[in-house]
Amino acid sequence: MSGDHIHPEPTSFLSKYVFSHDHKVIAKQFMWFGLVWLGIGGIMAMMIRWQLAHPGDPIPAIGMFLFPRTDGVLDPATYNTLFTMHGTIMIFLGLTPLMIGAFGNWCIPLMIGARDMIFPLLNMLSFWTVFLGGCVGLYSLFVPLGANEAGWTSYATLSTTIGAQGHGETLWAVAVFLIGASSIMGGINYMTTIIRLRAPGMTWGKLPLTVWALFLTSVLNVLFIPVIGSAMILLFLDRAVGTSFFTPASLMQGGGGGDPILYQHLFWIFGHPEVYILILPAWGFVCDLLSFFARKPAFGYRTSVGAMVAVTVLSAVVYGHHMFTTGLSPMLGESFMLLTMIISVPAEILFFNWLHTLWKGNLRLEVPMLWAIGVIFVFGLGGLTGIYLATIGTDIFLHDTYFVVGHFHLTMAASALFGTFGALTFWFPKMFGRRMNQTLGKIHFWGTIVPLTFVFCLMFAMGYSGMPRRYFDHTSAEWLADLQHMNVMATHAALLLGAFQLVFVYNFIKSRWWGPAAETNPWEVGTLDWTMPTPVPYYNFKEIPTVHTGPHEFSHPALGDDRDWIPMTEKLPG
Amino acid sequence: MRRPILYVLLPACVAIGALSSFRGEETEPASSSAAPTAQDEAESEHAEVVIDVPRHFRAPHNVNLFVEEDDRVRAPADEEWYERQSELEPGRWSYDEDLHDGQGGWIDAEGVYELVYNEEEEEAFYWRNLSKEQLTRGRQDYVQFCASCHGFDGDGYGRSAQHLRPGPRNFSQAMFKFTKVTQALPSDAALIDLVKRGLDGTPMLPWHLSDQQLDDIIQYIKTFSAPETGWRDLFIEIGDVVEAEDDPWIGKEQEAITRGEVVYHKDASCYACHPGYTTPARMAELRGEEAGTAYRDDLSYPALKDSSYTVLDYPVKILPPDFTWHTARAGVTPKELFETIAAGIKGTAMPQWKGALPDKDIWATAYYVNHLITEYLGKPDKRSAFMNALRRDQ
Amino acid sequence: MHRLKTLLSTRLKGCAALLALLAMSGVAHAQEAAETANRWGLGEPASDYGYRFTDLFWFITLLVGISFVLVLILIAIPVIRDRARPGHKASFDHGSSLHDKQVTTVISVITFIVLDAWVLVIAMQDLREAYWAIPEADQEGVYQVEVLAQQWSWNFRTPGIDGEFGTADDILSNSELVVPVGRPVSFQMTSKDVIHALFLPEMRMKKDVNPGDINTSWFQATRAGDFTILCAELCGYAHYQMHGKLTVLEEDTFNEWEREASKLALTAFDPEDTESQWAWDWEQ
Repeated sequence: MSGDHIHPEPTSFLSKYVFSHDHKVIAKQFMWFGLVWLGIGGIMAMMIRWQLAHPGDPIPAIGMFLFPRTDGVLDPATYNTLFTMHGTIMIFLGLTPLMIGAFGNWCIPLMIGARDMIFPLLNMLSFWTVFLGGCVGLYSLFVPLGANEAGWTSYATLSTTIGAQGHGETLWAVAVFLIGASSIMGGINYMTTIIRLRAPGMTWGKLPLTVWALFLTSVLNVLFIPVIGSAMILLFLDRAVGTSFFTPASLMQGGGGGDPILYQHLFWIFGHPEVYILILPAWGFVCDLLSFFARKPAFGYRTSVGAMVAVTVLSAVVYGHHMFTTGLSPMLGESFMLLTMIISVPAEILFFNWLHTLWKGNLRLEVPMLWAIGVIFVFGLGGLTGIYLATIGTDIFLHDTYFVVGHFHLTMAASALFGTFGALTFWFPKMFGRRMNQTLGKIHFWGTIVPLTFVFCLMFAMGYSGMPRRYFDHTSAEWLADLQHMNVMATHAALLLGAFQLVFVYNFIKSRWWGPAAETNPWEVGTLDWTMPTPVPYYNFKEIPTVHTGPHEFSHPALGDDRDWIPMTEKLPG
Repeated sequence: MRRPILYVLLPACVAIGALSSFRGEETEPASSSAAPTAQDEAESEHAEVVIDVPRHFRAPHNVNLFVEEDDRVRAPADEEWYERQSELEPGRWSYDEDLHDGQGGWIDAEGVYELVYNEEEEEAFYWRNLSKEQLTRGRQDYVQFCASCHGFDGDGYGRSAQHLRPGPRNFSQAMFKFTKVTQALPSDAALIDLVKRGLDGTPMLPWHLSDQQLDDIIQYIKTFSAPETGWRDLFIEIGDVVEAEDDPWIGKEQEAITRGEVVYHKDASCYACHPGYTTPARMAELRGEEAGTAYRDDLSYPALKDSSYTVLDYPVKILPPDFTWHTARAGVTPKELFETIAAGIKGTAMPQWKGALPDKDIWATAYYVNHLITEYLGKPDKRSAFMNALRRDQ
Repeated sequence: MHRLKTLLSTRLKGCAALLALLAMSGVAHAQEAAETANRWGLGEPASDYGYRFTDLFWFITLLVGISFVLVLILIAIPVIRDRARPGHKASFDHGSSLHDKQVTTVISVITFIVLDAWVLVIAMQDLREAYWAIPEADQEGVYQVEVLAQQWSWNFRTPGIDGEFGTADDILSNSELVVPVGRPVSFQMTSKDVIHALFLPEMRMKKDVNPGDINTSWFQATRAGDFTILCAELCGYAHYQMHGKLTVLEEDTFNEWEREASKLALTAFDPEDTESQWAWDWEQ
């Protein structure tokens, strides 16, 4: 078992940096991959917002270069492609590789006291599979008729050959399938590693909550990615071979025999757990970060774990809340409404535990802590607005309006992103042996959270005022033209938000190669990864440690006055 | 820990899958009471013809996105058109008197337009050359933007065109209703104008595409013409939008409307197709005929007319608009109405009035129609009062 | 206190400045860009169940608003009071005592009842009484409309004065629907090609329109006027142009209109043009 012996060090450039089996290298590969795609997705978002605020105006600076045939102006088909690929990229190629690929890989073996993942080759394959998926997705942008234009949800029959005739949509399905395959590989790896390779003394009750969250994320990945995989296979067959899984028997003429609603069911049976896949790692980071920087145990460890498990279990049975207006039977609709409200309870429990962790702590407001508190803020805001959408009475009006866009950006994008920034700034010293600039980090934080809150709260107002989403131009319909001022304000804020991310890019790149050297344990945290020297040797632990103490024993009375933390390998005095 | 999760989740997923395939009373599949099937049709009063094999049975498969060969289509034959082009782009055009044994013609430096000698006719004709690159771009944009209604083969019967009246244009017919040209075919500028403006009240929306995209699409559409027809017809005439510059009634709108009413009911007898907007008594007065003359039945309603446009080879009939009720397709300002009336609506019972009526009268009619639209369209109470007053005396 | 003042002064000033800058620039830009009125929120509903949406929305907002303010306070207090400083220690509490678990349970139950259950009950009432209470076909005075959605416009068919679908006097229109005030308007809808959604914002009505299937919905208008029809499900590149006009007429005007429209439809009817005929028998 890979926990016992130390395998020989890789020597060639390829085996060290390209086809490495070392989870730490793979983590960094995922990280750079995710960051680059996050940037591309972000630029797409800027273009979308530009078009909405200034319909028909050429996109400044990059417009003429990207879209010469339309003189730098977005045409409606390209616009649809942009928001589709923005969603696909941010979710599948940005956040997933970053949170689950990068931090799953980095944190799990180090935090549980293992030398590597239990299946290192599978680990390496999972990166290159997502890389291949990304290549296919990128390629789909350049085929005739362009990439997928049917939204990241890509409902049938718009996504079948009835609505989209080129290869872009087919390639998109292939890309999503490959990315999904990568996630399944990673999920199997993580789950098995956590179950089998925990160091002696590392009981389930002593696991850092990051690891718990990643474990549950992997469970969801393994269970539900196959569902989207099957949806993509069926869509691929419909498009490439001419089957009719999703093409209906038209009322007017016969033929087909499939059901477009089947696609929606398949998609959302995956899709709802997917949003929990995206948020659970962030929840895990936040639980730990709050404890680490409040110098207090994570309040209600078991309750938090129970809440995350409950959310995991319930995540599959709430998916119908995305389909309230499709014509589901009333009984089914009301059941989903009830279940969606029930699933909010464990999330609320987790939330209270966070607040209670802060309460009467000794708060070190370093940059990672700011991000963790930022998650509490945006997730609180976003989660509370979920109530409007869970309630069918309000969802009927708000469905497919900007209200939904505001809601999921706050809960999914902002919360996951803030969790990611927290994780990045927290683990940066151990990953790269250098410190990121704290002042720039704080500027980045405030420059992100303020415009972001502004933009997405404005979207609640837009949605309430009846502005539908996925519209190329809101001035076409007279009734919506009165809302254009909101579009302009949101775009200004969004551009500002985008600009502040450059602060992070600068900080990250500069610190990565030219930052000041970091101490071994700058945050004074007791988890096993911080007991490692920097840089972490390829075999991690020379001797597998024995764990005696929990991960959150901060300010334990037995520790006395000189320190408020204890490494997990030490026994608590007395 | 792990087994309980599986034992709970797996059955739960199966249960969800089973539940989600159950569909409640709200949305029963329509198989039991579908659209009039062939049998229903035979039983009901109004149909004897059975709908043929359904065209949109399956989703489209392997739609072709490339054009393999260069092509060419006819360009305007009118020398004046080239003269105007040379004024717009002076560096590009030059006139050669000795071209083609003294016939003389314009030379396009870019090689897009070309005067080609035809041996059989012993005459040179202007053609526009279309490269396969341009046609491929045009084909791809056409599939992307137009094919859902106009069909992948340009026959006007795309999936979204089913049961649609008025039907989308069948481009192989090479005939257009609202391009406002007096010649048989519209110039590129006229076509682009139409696409950008759209047709009010129909699914032909104003399309927000760039000039380059529209140019490519329009050149591609021309290639739908069968050999020797439409844009491949040697003798076809192509022209720009009919000129409507000199409005003689500016400042005298009221007089224009009065004159228009007379032209509408007397000189042009528009009431033959469109509604007559006067009582029969007043009509006789306007026309200088005996009081008590009977005009057509349902004078204040339009009369259904034949057209040359076909949907699945059936020539559809078109109802001329009642201006107080139906949306005018190609614009409602007097200028736009002038253009439509003067050019006529090709392929329908609406003739070309340029030449048949003096321009001043066409303008007056345009003003009159514009008056009807602004006074009554979208104002149901006012309109019914007006129409009822007309009908009281019938 | 002094610490509080410094904290508030620098951070809050920065944020306030950012927000003010954003708002001002946006408003200034928008004022010059659009000559239309700047609308915030919705106008009065025009349907008899329309009030339910705004009532429920603001009720939820009240609950959610109070909760969020509470959360903000619970974040702010530790951030201000418990900041790390020499000599200050965190209070050691795992939060795993029985007492803590009991408190958590109680708070969760109360939160669920207050935020969710209450709202759930109201919503179920709304659904059963209004949104999903589609009138029966044989109900008195129901005005039936068949909707055939396509890329990218709406086709509406009403039975005309003979009250039967599939006859020569059926009133057909593209993207314009005329309905009477004060009578329930019942929709049966399908699509020719992709999924659309009929959205009548002033009536607070929305329902997906799926190909190969018939969906139903309804509303009853409370006042006459011109209203908007929008599409609310991505249906292709011209999804944003798939709007129409809903005209609600007073009863007399409507009856007159319907007579005239039926007569015009009869005039336009061509019995041999079978391809153009698309009605279905009204589903019970």
